Amino acid sequence: MNPSSINILAACVLALFGVAIYGLLVTRNLIKIMIVLQILVKAAVLGLVVAGKMNGQINLSQSIAVTVIVADTVVVIVGLALAIQARQVIGTLDADALSKFRED
Amino acid sequence: MSNNPFLWLIAIPLISTPVIYLIGRVFGPGEESSKPCPSQYITLAALLATWIPYILSVSEVLANGSIEYSSQSIAFRIDGLSLLLAGLVLALATLVALFSGAYLAGEKEQEKYYALLVALVGIIAGLGMTNDLFNLWVWFEAMSISTYFLVAFYRKQPRSLEAGIKYLVQSAIGSAMILLAIGLVLASTGSLNLDLIRQVSTKSPMLLIAGALFILGFGVKSALVPMHTWLPDAHSVAPSGISAMLSGVIIEAGLIAMLRALSALSLMASEWGIILMAFGAANMLFGNLMALSQTQVKRLLAFSSLSQMGYVFIGLGLGIYANVINGVRGGLFHILTHGMMKGLAFLAAGSLLYALHIAAGDHMPLTKSDICGAARRYPLPALALSVAVLGLGCIPPLAGFWSKWQIFLAGFETQQVWIIALIVFAGLNSLLSFGYYAPLVIAVYRREPSELVQNGHPLSFGIQAPLLLLSVAIIVIGLWPNLFTWLTKPAAAGLMTAFGG
Repeated sequence: MNPSSINILAACVLALFGVAIYGLLVTRNLIKIMIVLQILVKAAVLGLVVAGKMNGQINLSQSIAVTVIVADTVVVIVGLALAIQARQVIGTLDADALSKFRED
Repeated sequence: MSNNPFLWLIAIPLISTPVIYLIGRVFGPGEESSKPCPSQYITLAALLATWIPYILSVSEVLANGSIEYSSQSIAFRIDGLSLLLAGLVLALATLVALFSGAYLAGEKEQEKYYALLVALVGIIAGLGMTNDLFNLWVWFEAMSISTYFLVAFYRKQPRSLEAGIKYLVQSAIGSAMILLAIGLVLASTGSLNLDLIRQVSTKSPMLLIAGALFILGFGVKSALVPMHTWLPDAHSVAPSGISAMLSGVIIEAGLIAMLRALSALSLMASEWGIILMAFGAANMLFGNLMALSQTQVKRLLAFSSLSQMGYVFIGLGLGIYANVINGVRGGLFHILTHGMMKGLAFLAAGSLLYALHIAAGDHMPLTKSDICGAARRYPLPALALSVAVLGLGCIPPLAGFWSKWQIFLAGFETQQVWIIALIVFAGLNSLLSFGYYAPLVIAVYRREPSELVQNGHPLSFGIQAPLLLLSVAIIVIGLWPNLFTWLTKPAAAGLMTAFGG
């Protein structure tokens, strides 16, 4: 792989990261927040694969990527389960409505 | 596996996790929730069995120094720091399992609680032992996932759902930061083994960014001040046993994971030391100021965890920055004593919460006015709460005094003016903390009993025994502060070597 395509991939990592951070700042819907978290982790996974490719350790980084995807899926499943509970108990998926229950 | 006892230290809890869940599911009380849950007894048996490999590992490490073990890309190194973390989590989990029997009676789905509690022990033991950056992330993520469920255990309560979702989102962002940092380290050093990274790492901007991302990512879990907002909610709404685990072990485990990751980038050790001290000062002041204005007891204790972690950051930070081993020893000793004192404080507050609210079937928080005069009806919980908060407030014959004293002495050892100023600031913060610790003691002993206390539910032996054990331990360590030197000394020495000291 030539250096310019590494640069393009690194730019993709940064772009995905930026999209995710922007999404976290503007999203209020719990389901969408989980989607944004997925985008954030996918940026990191792509970063790991690119890093492995730069050092000729693509096997290592691909196996890491698969592990990360598994672990992260579990996180999102837990998050979605909590979102469903919130919908049932409170009746809304809006993060702002949820934070009214915070005690100060 | 016979000559590697530490593998059993991880394996016994992780193997017994599904067993505990299934047995609780099949033979548990189910809908008629007044019967005791068999999961509790298996949990206690599994945790007691885990003490055997722990003791064997301790004797092996003390005799031969650290143990190395690797199989393909899984690398373990068991040193003093691993043993310190494993011992703390094992001791607290055993007491919490004992405490939770009566506390959770009447709740549904107790088997999940016990299964995840035991899983946490194996996961945190593994987290302390790993010698590979990616394995560290996997253990760390596993620890986070098991605590998400535990924080949102009362899943019909809006408050615990709010705390659980907030905790999940913030932790997930933190762990993505750690992954990005791992990518940067892999790109610039071509390795993930902590020892190999340490050999080839240079002082490059890329690794500096990686270190900053490690601090941000692990900092979410160890509650560095701008990233702490999940902590007061999660600690106050979780079942009290889990509050004790979160405050006594989980945030410390996050810190130890951060130190492990940063120690691989040891050429920049002095930078990391300064950053840790800066966060320490912020944590102490912010935690104290927020705790002063709290009316709920568990929320107050959660904010005091922020300020107590500040002392740990300062001790470790000045030790790493100025190469003073006593600072690291003090910081690690404070991790131990804080785990015990804050664990006791949450368990004592939890026992009062149970007696005054949960046994009556409501999920109201425990406020300062609820516990007025609690000593009349609940002498042991009141005494335990007082011992815990006075220890946290640094009263001399209790454990918390000696660990802070060691950190303060190490600060003077550096003979640098600004570090001494920081230590004076820490001492003043200790005084400030009495502004919220003392009212708790006064409330339980000097006030007339509130109506809730007079009508409170009696407490069983299972709830009170852990309080008694931890109170005695805190007083004993206060009288013989050298009791844990055998553990903190090799741990500090190992950490200093890792940071190139």
